[in-house]
Amino acid sequence: MAAPILRIENVSKRYGKKDVLKGASPEVNRDLKILIGPSGAGKSTLLQCINFLVKPDEGRIWLDEQEVHYAHKRDLYAYRQKVGMIFQDFNLFDHLNALENVRIGMVRVKGMAKAEAGERAVMELERVGLGDHMQKYPAQLSGGQKQRVSIARALAMDPKVMLLDEPTSALDPELIGEVHAVIRDLGNNGMTMIMATHQIGFASSLASEIVFMEDGRILERGTPDKIFNHAENARTREFCSKITELYGER
Amino acid sequence: MPESLIAIMDALPYLLQGSMVTLVVVVGAMGLGFALGAPLAVGQVYGHPVLRRFIAVYVWFFRGIPLLVFLFLFYFGLCTAFDINLSAFTVAIIVLGLISSAYQSQIFRGAILSLPEGQLKAARALGMSDLKAISVIILPQALRLSVPGWSNEYSILLKDSAVTYALGVAEIMARAHFVATRTYQQLPLYFAAGVIFLLLTWVGTKGLRMLEEKVRIPGYSTHGL
Repeated sequence: MAAPILRIENVSKRYGKKDVLKGASPEVNRDLKILIGPSGAGKSTLLQCINFLVKPDEGRIWLDEQEVHYAHKRDLYAYRQKVGMIFQDFNLFDHLNALENVRIGMVRVKGMAKAEAGERAVMELERVGLGDHMQKYPAQLSGGQKQRVSIARALAMDPKVMLLDEPTSALDPELIGEVHAVIRDLGNNGMTMIMATHQIGFASSLASEIVFMEDGRILERGTPDKIFNHAENARTREFCSKITELYGER
Repeated sequence: MPESLIAIMDALPYLLQGSMVTLVVVVGAMGLGFALGAPLAVGQVYGHPVLRRFIAVYVWFFRGIPLLVFLFLFYFGLCTAFDINLSAFTVAIIVLGLISSAYQSQIFRGAILSLPEGQLKAARALGMSDLKAISVIILPQALRLSVPGWSNEYSILLKDSAVTYALGVAEIMARAHFVATRTYQQLPLYFAAGVIFLLLTWVGTKGLRMLEEKVRIPGYSTHGL
C-alpha cells in the first residue's frame, strides 16, 4: 500500500482535567474517511487538532511523509494551506462577497495577483454550482450556498487533504443534498477527505472507511459494511442502530 | 435689531473661526485616538497576558483622571518641568487623543469580541498568520461595527474640547467668553456658542451615520426589524 498522505500518531488533547482526545491515530490514504460518534466523542477536536486550530498536547502528524513542525510558524502556515477545512457553521468572511471569500486566501496567503486569483475563484465557484451568486454576500446566501462557497474557498488553495467538520449539520434537510453532491464529486475526483458527520446514508455510500469514536478514543474502524452491519464493539452497534433510526435509510 | 442679535452677528465670524479650531482639535484627537486605540484593542484581545495587563492599566489611567487635570498636568506640569515647547493647541490634541484612545480601544475591543470566533479560525485554516488574519478579516469587520460607538465618541470629544479653553486654546468657548466679558453680552454669546456646538454635533453624527450606511455589509441592516 502507498504511504499515507496524512499520518496521525497519538493525538491527545486535554481541556483542564478533561481528556477530550486520547491518542487518536487515524491514517489517511487517498480516500474518504468518515468519523462518526456521539457529541463530545472528540471528532471535532480531532479534526481541529489535525490542522492545529486546536493545539494538541501530544501527538505527531506527517503530511506526505513530512513531519509537521507546528511550533515553526512558517511550517504551520504552509501546512494549513495544504489542508482545507470546512466548518459546521461555514465561517465565511461576512464582509466579503462569495468571490472575494474564495479569492482572499490566494491573494493574501499565496500572493497571487488579484486578476489571476479572481479567475480561479470564478472557476471554483462554478464548480460548486454558484456561478450566478458570486457577487452575493454571506448574509444573502442560503446555508447550502454558504457551505458550497466555503468548499470553493478551501479548494482554491489546492489542498491535499480536506477536513470536514459536520458540514451539513447546520443545514435544512432540503439543502443537505446540494452540499453532499459537491463532496461526492470531490471524492470521485480523488480528493482525500476526513469528514465528521451523522449522515450515515451518505457516509456508507461514499466512505472507504468509517471510524467510530467515543470518549476521545477510536473504538472501532472498518468498511461501512463492517461498521454498520457487523460491528464487533457493542457500543458501535448501539450507536449505529440509534443513528440509523434517526437519519433514516442507508 | 435687538442689541443681543447685533452682538451675535458681530461676534459670529470670530466664533466660526473658533469652531474651525474646535473641529481641528476634535478630528485630530479622534485620529490620534484611533491610531492608538485600534492597536490597543488588538493587543488587549489577542496579546500576551503581560501586554494585556499593561493595556488595562493604560485604559484605567486615561479614563480615571478628569480631562482638566490632564490638561494642566501636561501643559503647566510636564511641559514646564521638562522644558518642552508645545503650544496649548498641540497639547489639547495630544491629551484629548490619549484619553480618546483609551475609550476608543474599548469600542474596538467590544466590536472584536462580538465577532464569531469562527472568523479567526477560518482565516487561520487558510494559512494566514494571526497578524494577517486580524488586519484582513477581523479589523475590517470590527471597525464597521465600531461606527455607532464612534459617533458617541465624537460627540463627547466635541464637548470635552471646550475644556481646553482653560489652556487658552482659541476654540469656540474661549472666544465666546472673551467677547462676552468685553461686551457684557453674556447671554447671547454663550447661547450662540451652545448653538454652534449643537450644530457641530448634529453634522458630525449625521456624517457618521452616513458612513455607517456606506460601509454596511450587504445583507445586514443598520436598524432593527
